Amino acid sequence: MASDLHDELNRPAVEPLLPIEKKLIGISLGLGVFLLVVLAVINHFVPVS
Amino acid sequence: MTDVTQSLEIEAPKPLTEDWLAAGIGLFIVLLAFLGLSGTNFLGWAVSTSVWTDPSHALAPAAKTFSSLGGIPALLLTYVSLLIVLSIGVLITGANVARFATTFTVLFFLAYASWFIGNYAHFAAVTPADLKKFDIDWSLKLTAEGGFIIALVLGIVIANFLPRFAEWLKPAARSELYIKIAIVILGAAVGVAVAGKLNFASSLLLRGIAAVIEAYLIYWSVVYFIARKWFGFSREWAAPLASGISICGVSAAIATGGAIRARSRIPVIVSSIVVIFAVIEVLILPFLAEHFLWREPMVAAAWLGLAVKSDGAAVSAGGITEALINGKAALEGIHYAPGWILSTTATIKVFIDIFIGVWAFILAYIWTNHLNVRPGQPRARAAEIWERFPKFVVGFVLAFLAALITSLTASPETVKALTPSIGEANVFRVIFFILTFFSIGLLSDFRKLWEDGFGKLVAVYIVSLFGFVVWVGLFISWIFFGGVHPPLAS
Repeated sequence: MASDLHDELNRPAVEPLLPIEKKLIGISLGLGVFLLVVLAVINHFVPVS
Repeated sequence: MTDVTQSLEIEAPKPLTEDWLAAGIGLFIVLLAFLGLSGTNFLGWAVSTSVWTDPSHALAPAAKTFSSLGGIPALLLTYVSLLIVLSIGVLITGANVARFATTFTVLFFLAYASWFIGNYAHFAAVTPADLKKFDIDWSLKLTAEGGFIIALVLGIVIANFLPRFAEWLKPAARSELYIKIAIVILGAAVGVAVAGKLNFASSLLLRGIAAVIEAYLIYWSVVYFIARKWFGFSREWAAPLASGISICGVSAAIATGGAIRARSRIPVIVSSIVVIFAVIEVLILPFLAEHFLWREPMVAAAWLGLAVKSDGAAVSAGGITEALINGKAALEGIHYAPGWILSTTATIKVFIDIFIGVWAFILAYIWTNHLNVRPGQPRARAAEIWERFPKFVVGFVLAFLAALITSLTASPETVKALTPSIGEANVFRVIFFILTFFSIGLLSDFRKLWEDGFGKLVAVYIVSLFGFVVWVGLFISWIFFGGVHPPLAS
């Protein structure tokens, strides 16, 4: 059965990125960077007491 | 499916049951610590190991009131009590109690022997005062927590050179259960520590939000993209892989696998890779943190919480790092209050854990409605958020609140008695740490890395972890924790 795993993992890509996946990646990354910038600004003005 | 994956599937933890079990055992120990406030000491008999040159003086009961008991009886009593409590837990989860009890006995004494050796003064002594105290002229300066590393390495040696023995020990090698119990007990210690530094602690907690954003929104999306676009993984492989590398190792991979309705072997295989790389991280990152970040202890603490995957490995790495950094700082005359580095790493990990259910629900919604729509297949349910919530966090929060509220509201006499009581519970936290380290090592069969078909998984893990996750984690930890130092010991 090990060869099954080998074949499956090394099979050429047959699933191109769909628009919904691109949207998920883009929104996650964009929102993540935006929120981190907001937190960094808050962190700057409200330092650890 | 390979034999390896089959055995992993059989041994795969039952997260919900195991989480409640960890919460129950952890809270039971914390409750005994609180009952000690009534004047009767319920935990002081537990064994504690001091740094030694004469082994006959190494072991002793945790409380002086039990000193007549002696070290070896205290060790045996500790073993018997843990055996009884854990066996009852194992019985509740439906596992084979006799097999657990037999293997736990061997595992406990091997693990504790590692801790005992780690406390040898030539390994553990750090400061010139320590060297003078033990009348020795050299030490590896590993601190007493070097015993964790010895336990880990012993586990790895057994796993890789004595595979049959390792397989036999596996029923007792429940690293996730042990670390979750330890985290619940840690909750009480954090509560006591935080009470005295409320503003400082709340500032740190707010910064933990950055870790959640980083793990779920930034890490996950980048790793998913790398797995799909660069390595050509299918969605069914890429999503659990992204969660395993980005969020919280084993539990995240399993939660994601369930959420996207992946075949059961996929999160199991991903988990086995996560565990192996977590061990590699534990062996490397604390020493890098000591060398490069000892002047920035809280950056180091946050970094490990973000970079090391799996609860056990991350919190363990936090414990070693605290010992190493505090030891190095002590050489410079800086004496940090104990517990803050470890607590920060653990809190960040717990913060990240809390949102696994929410993230799994989001993925389940997208997959069942847009990517993997099958007639008759059940759609994502909001109830899955609670179903996948790591229940041991409930225990951590309860222990934390009980200690915090008591510290803030009780009479000065009670508050004064609370610290040593929680300290005795902490003895058990250390023992569960030792069991965790040994178990993690025991489950780290490095030969899996060379198995047919694993190469591509390992490649995406290495690229993502060491090319992205570790460095972004360091950068963001620096932004939010740079210049922040633990309180000094009073």
